[in-house]
Amino acid sequence: MTTSPIYSPHAARETPVISDAAYLASLKKVTQYYIVTAFLALFIGVLIGPLQALNYGGINVYDTPIIKGLLKSYYQGLSLHGVLNALVFTQFFISGFLLYLPARDLGMRINMKFAWFTYILMTVGLLTAAVPLLTNNATLLYTFYPPMEGSPVFYIGAAVMVGSSLLVVGQVVQMWMRWKRANPGRVTPLVAFMSVATWMMWAVASLGLVIEVVFLLIPWSLGWVAGVDPLISKTLFWWTGHAIVYFWVLPAYIAWYAFLPNHAGGRIVSEPLVRLTFVMFLLNSTPVGLHHQYADPNISATWKTMHMFLTFLIAIPSLLTAFSVAASLEDAARARGGRGLFGWMLKLPWGKPTFSAPVLAMVSFILGGAGGIVNASSTFAPVIHNTAWIPGHFHITVGTATTLTFMGISLWLIPHLTGKRMPSVRLASAAVWTWFIGMMVFALGMHWEGLVGVPRRALISATAQSVYRDMPIQIPQMLTAISGVILLVSAVMYFYVLFRMLLSKRVDDGEVTSPIPYSEVISPAGQNLAGASALVRFTEPLLALWGVALLLVLLMYGPVIARLFANAELVPGWRLY
Amino acid sequence: MNQRLDHHTLEKYENIWFGIATVMALFLFVTVLASFFSGTYPSLTGEGGHHITGVKNGRLNPKNFAATPFATPGLRQNADGTYEAFVVARAFQFEPAVLKVPVGKPITIHVTSADVLHGYFIEGTNINTTAIPGQVSSFTTTFRRPGTLNVICNEYCGTGHHNMINGVKVEVQEP
Repeated sequence: MTTSPIYSPHAARETPVISDAAYLASLKKVTQYYIVTAFLALFIGVLIGPLQALNYGGINVYDTPIIKGLLKSYYQGLSLHGVLNALVFTQFFISGFLLYLPARDLGMRINMKFAWFTYILMTVGLLTAAVPLLTNNATLLYTFYPPMEGSPVFYIGAAVMVGSSLLVVGQVVQMWMRWKRANPGRVTPLVAFMSVATWMMWAVASLGLVIEVVFLLIPWSLGWVAGVDPLISKTLFWWTGHAIVYFWVLPAYIAWYAFLPNHAGGRIVSEPLVRLTFVMFLLNSTPVGLHHQYADPNISATWKTMHMFLTFLIAIPSLLTAFSVAASLEDAARARGGRGLFGWMLKLPWGKPTFSAPVLAMVSFILGGAGGIVNASSTFAPVIHNTAWIPGHFHITVGTATTLTFMGISLWLIPHLTGKRMPSVRLASAAVWTWFIGMMVFALGMHWEGLVGVPRRALISATAQSVYRDMPIQIPQMLTAISGVILLVSAVMYFYVLFRMLLSKRVDDGEVTSPIPYSEVISPAGQNLAGASALVRFTEPLLALWGVALLLVLLMYGPVIARLFANAELVPGWRLY
Repeated sequence: MNQRLDHHTLEKYENIWFGIATVMALFLFVTVLASFFSGTYPSLTGEGGHHITGVKNGRLNPKNFAATPFATPGLRQNADGTYEAFVVARAFQFEPAVLKVPVGKPITIHVTSADVLHGYFIEGTNINTTAIPGQVSSFTTTFRRPGTLNVICNEYCGTGHHNMINGVKVEVQEP
């Protein structure tokens, strides 16, 4: 059912043709459902955001009658904001995006019944977890550290939702293996390679959270076991909890590497290097989680230091990405007549939101990555751990690098999937720029407050003591409050564009008017393994590398967790919200 | 001159950049290690890092502090002249509410929780540890200036979390 176009190594890849129109329509539909569900979650989550920003601006709006009628407390609002934006939006978007891309890139048929089943199961999990969240029965924040105890319905719903993503892993890996069998000796095309590597990384990463929720928290919340060891739970949580940020950011990397050069009018720098980057992430993303636990007792400093070292190493593939994508942009700008050491930047299409969104997301990620190095250093961490610095940090990483990239993707992906048109390029462009500016201002305010000593996720605007009124934080508080307003305006513009687009009529054939924006390549990986470079041949056996990744995690976590279990101290649950 | 980038130039730059990135990561690691060994921040100990009555492997029963020094939180001076302080975090206060410590003396502080997770963060310092029910966090530090510092709970612990603020009073000892 698929035909391959004539192969040319430097040309942009042409999407293999799928002749079965009904299958293609169904594949597009399930992808659209994932993406739209993701953005509905983001819509609700983002609307709660300004309430948090105003709190850090010293203004408590949780006592106003309207808000009080909807949310029991700041902490319930914050739980919803975190779960919807960081966990639901990302996972649904990625499950759609990284199911669709490899299926199209390889031109493979997948079992659509299974794909729909997975979507429905994930949504049922989401709706199940939503009930206790909305009724203030799971006000645990998105880290849900025990022994603060929530309704078992929350843990079960969350387990079903997160567990469903593993079904996507299975479907994508199985599809890739079928392609490998059908195409012996071939090099996996780049987009499919990156997608499969990302899913494999997520499978290894998610194990910690799955074990925590299924084997520890669900039995405990149902009363089957008397207590829970908070440190074991927290350690398993961060097994997943740090790698999950790479699960959020790697799909953005895929767009930066594969599609951004096209939006800019440039070329991918080097396919072998991109493959190396993704293999480094597959191997190294997970055994780094202890750097979130420098402040925790009873985990030896030696293990923490080893995880710190591995965390520094994971900066390398990100630095390679910064190099490659910047080179792609320079290539594009010079092709458009750009000149000079920095002058070429002016030649880039800054008014085009499919371009500006990922590029501004990257700029944000450079700053976020630098801050991340600070967080990962055990010597710096005690100064900023659990201060407002941390939400400042992750709003310019997941909140901008990931979210703004996904917003930009939606502007070509929705037209591609549905044949509908973006109603206003100018409004979309304004939404992208204001999101970037709002997040920069927010991050400045929050990093600053954190350095002074303001803790994260606390209703500081209603603190009885005068501590925060006495701190020199008037300027950062003002910045944070203003940023909440900028971001609200940005969100209104973005969602207006998105919903108007979704509610409009189909006018185009998305395959023709908004094809998958593949880019030309300067240094291709080639098509046949036999003639490929050593780097391409080393990176191709992803199954074996997946095994190595799992082994590395077991080596770096096994002894730590075994020791925690040997000394487990179960404590009872509490509900203090 | 407006040539587009080619494979060979890029490969050269790539390798240089890769080298710089690797050296940077290693340099960071070495500097952190140096700081670790020179003791510029209070390193946490647990499991055998302390010998407290009723505490085994850094663990204790949070419902039974009676068998441990956490039954009477506060500062004490040991027979050998060293100082130890015991702090209990409990929704939504620290015990003792004001920990009095002498200026310029090394003090080992032990922190635990009676209920959920709490954070033990002393404003303006790099003292920042988690108070976990069933576990003891211990670290040694020296307060060099007299005065009162805020102790802020920086881990979500329920509706009163933002009011969980107490203090450390650093005092000049009478000779």
